[in-house]
Amino acid sequence: MRSTVVRSTFDRSVPVWIATAVTLVLLMILPLGWLGWVSVSSEQGATLANYVQVFGDPHLQKALWNTIVLAFWVGTASLAVGVPMAWLTGRTDLPGKRVIRALIMASFVTPPFLGAFAWVMLAGPNAGLLNKIYRGLTGSDDPLMNIFTMPGLIFVVALYSFPYVYIMIVNTLELIASDLEEAGAILGASRLRVALTITLPLAFPAILSGFILAVLQALALFGSPAILALPAGFHTITTQIWSFFQYPPKVEQAAAFSIPLLLATALLLQLQKRLLGRRGYAGVGGKTGARRPIPLGRWRWVALAGVFAVLACTIVLPYAVLAKAAFAKAWAQPLSWDNLTLANFTFTFFEYSATRDAVINTLELGIMTATVGAVMAALLAYVTNRRLVPGHQALGFLAVAPVVIPGVVLAVGLFIAYTRPPLVLYGTLAILFVAYLTKELPVGYAQADTTFKGVHPELEEAGRILGAGRLRVLREITAPLAKSGIIATWCFVFIGVIRELSASIILFTPATKVISVVIFDLKEEGQFAAISVLGLFMLAMTFGIVLLMQTALGRDFLGAKD
Amino acid sequence: MPGVTLRGLSKRYGGVAAVDNLTLEVKPRELVALLGPSGCGKTTTLRLVAGFLTPEAGEIWVGDRCLSSATAVVPPERRRMAMIFQSYALWPHLTVAQNVGYGLRFRRGMARADRDRRVSEMLRVVQLDGFEARYPSQLSGGQQQRVAVARALVVEPEILLLDEPLSNLDANLREEMRFEIRRLHETFGITTLYVTHDQAEAMVISDRIAVLDRGRVAQVGSAEEIFQQPRTRFVADFIGRTNLVDAVAATPDAVTRGGLRLHVATADLRPGARVSVSIRPHEIAFANTADGRAGDNVLSGRIRRVSYLGDAVDYQVEIEGSDVILRVAAAPALRLRPGETVRLVIPPSACVPLPE
Repeated sequence: MRSTVVRSTFDRSVPVWIATAVTLVLLMILPLGWLGWVSVSSEQGATLANYVQVFGDPHLQKALWNTIVLAFWVGTASLAVGVPMAWLTGRTDLPGKRVIRALIMASFVTPPFLGAFAWVMLAGPNAGLLNKIYRGLTGSDDPLMNIFTMPGLIFVVALYSFPYVYIMIVNTLELIASDLEEAGAILGASRLRVALTITLPLAFPAILSGFILAVLQALALFGSPAILALPAGFHTITTQIWSFFQYPPKVEQAAAFSIPLLLATALLLQLQKRLLGRRGYAGVGGKTGARRPIPLGRWRWVALAGVFAVLACTIVLPYAVLAKAAFAKAWAQPLSWDNLTLANFTFTFFEYSATRDAVINTLELGIMTATVGAVMAALLAYVTNRRLVPGHQALGFLAVAPVVIPGVVLAVGLFIAYTRPPLVLYGTLAILFVAYLTKELPVGYAQADTTFKGVHPELEEAGRILGAGRLRVLREITAPLAKSGIIATWCFVFIGVIRELSASIILFTPATKVISVVIFDLKEEGQFAAISVLGLFMLAMTFGIVLLMQTALGRDFLGAKD
Repeated sequence: MPGVTLRGLSKRYGGVAAVDNLTLEVKPRELVALLGPSGCGKTTTLRLVAGFLTPEAGEIWVGDRCLSSATAVVPPERRRMAMIFQSYALWPHLTVAQNVGYGLRFRRGMARADRDRRVSEMLRVVQLDGFEARYPSQLSGGQQQRVAVARALVVEPEILLLDEPLSNLDANLREEMRFEIRRLHETFGITTLYVTHDQAEAMVISDRIAVLDRGRVAQVGSAEEIFQQPRTRFVADFIGRTNLVDAVAATPDAVTRGGLRLHVATADLRPGARVSVSIRPHEIAFANTADGRAGDNVLSGRIRRVSYLGDAVDYQVEIEGSDVILRVAAAPALRLRPGETVRLVIPPSACVPLPE
């Protein structure tokens, strides 16, 4: 045979993959490496003194304990609310399910710190509207409730954490075939008994992992504790870390105090992954065809009232009080025509100097992070799904790894890493960009991963064998098919960025404020009207993007098809 | 029209060899089926030929072009092949005409009008004229299948690869498409590799069958050769139903197991060697109905179990003086009962010895 070997040309996509990998390593390794190093460093060299100092201090011990109490009760309360709601909307003939789902989705995207502000206006001990109404009705001098307490904090945090439990369980319930439940019913079990002995145990891993997600949420949260715990005179880990950065900054102690939070998060996520990975009994095979809703009978309306009571607390009341404060001359006064005004909007957007810059900064960062993040997530997800480079599993792992880093901890790491050469980013928008990109990458990656899992590799191979090169197939076949999924990725990242507070609060400088930071500043000044205006602006932007995303995906993003 | 030569091809996953030193020659214009159970390496082989996978060792030649060797590998887009996938892999965002015409866009110097004409001609061949503007999601499974066929044939590939293309169709349509694919092969005469795990499909469609076992070619031959003269125990067992008797060679042309003695189809056994003998159930006759010829094996036994299958009856017969149970397929007219003693007649030509 005559040999006419055709040499394969150099694959032009290789540099792209390598660049992505390097960026990823830089985003993760640099801040965490510095964080670990600084936590054990002193002028005399390596030391454990920072840890001894931090964990020996009774005030700081108290902050640790407060965090544990908060996280545990938020997890428990989220289960108590999320599990029944998931069962009711996923399995029964409860009326108004679409509205309920929409409202739960709204609680999911509501920035928790806005909820906390709203509840200050609703249930502050003196001026809180609910307390005023209560005093008016009963003539009592004492408030109905004081939101500036640990129970108050737990209540508010749980209101915006239970959707994590809800989503987890609704999605699992959808996988449990009705047959399994009917098999129980045919053997003589009552409805309640079926729910308790079959559905509940099947969903148990999902329930536990929902609990862990809610706990993680509570652990990492900065805004709500800062708004509710600080006035009440107590700290959590996150507010404590933040206060280490108040003048004079104690960076080493902040670093040492960050490490346990980081480890706890990593540990809990590992546990959650194990729980979900243990397929078999929650994996729930078989035909999952027709859903036959369980009739509730006369309990329908009781259940509905309960569900709406919860949603009133998460959405209706807070949004109403924000709207009222935004449009009223004095937010604590009753609603009347005299009290209505647009002056708050003019003040916020045109007179208060920090706002306009903050809006521009936020939009700029949102668009930049979402664009770069979506492209990166798409590339990474593509590389890992198609196994294009050796070590692709490691890339996938690194892309989701930032999920274990609470925003405050990430900010401490970035602060240390980028206030020194070679890259001095502190004081620029770039450091916020890096923070947001790192923080949002896991969410973006997860969305992009789902997208590429839906594009069968044979669709690309069919193009290759007919004569199209790899990049051409990427452009003409993969890209059009992945388009809507990538738009959704962009939206996810954008929403995450515009509401970000816990990292921003440590990394901002006067020239690089974002909306969430301005809201936090306004709270120090007691400017409730301006806070409400900015809050509504943020919500409007969020819901606009959610609508865009739902149009792109053709379904609501909790996972249900229309 | 060139043929395909695979020489010493190997592909490993982790420590496991999916394709292990595989050698196969496909002649020009021939349709060869790669047949085997799941995990035998047939799909891996096909993907190596397509260029989606890179072999660790071995060479792939098409005519006098080397596509894959230790020094260079040609990417799929330059192999001048076409492939029909198990999932059809029709692009949902393109119309039928755009799907079929995709490969023609890479033909230099082909005018657009020319392309359109070729596409509609090909759609007529697969009886889909008038469907040009539809999207794949608006077609039935059978129609999608035919779009996939048209897309592969319109580029006039040197080599056509098919990866279990009928496995997503229902039984009736599958049978129809077998003849359709055979007809298209006879019309276009493209050298073809066809992967399947369905032996009936392989027998209907192919000129020759390559039976794959653990990454190697166990036997290549026409359907008839493979069925009647299996060369290994695996092939005998995998193709059709058979009785396998593990025995020891007594003379060059006979084997024994306990009290059972069988004259076999060859005369070159080494006495004392272990030999498996394959006997097809339909080649065994009951002495009650057929008189054996001189030299036939005649065995007595007793019927243990009778299964009525409609077009035949399946008997399990315990052979006297041994632990062997033979399955016998007989016409339904003969109704023997469990417990009856019978005499079996087996011509030596039906007893195929298999090397261990």
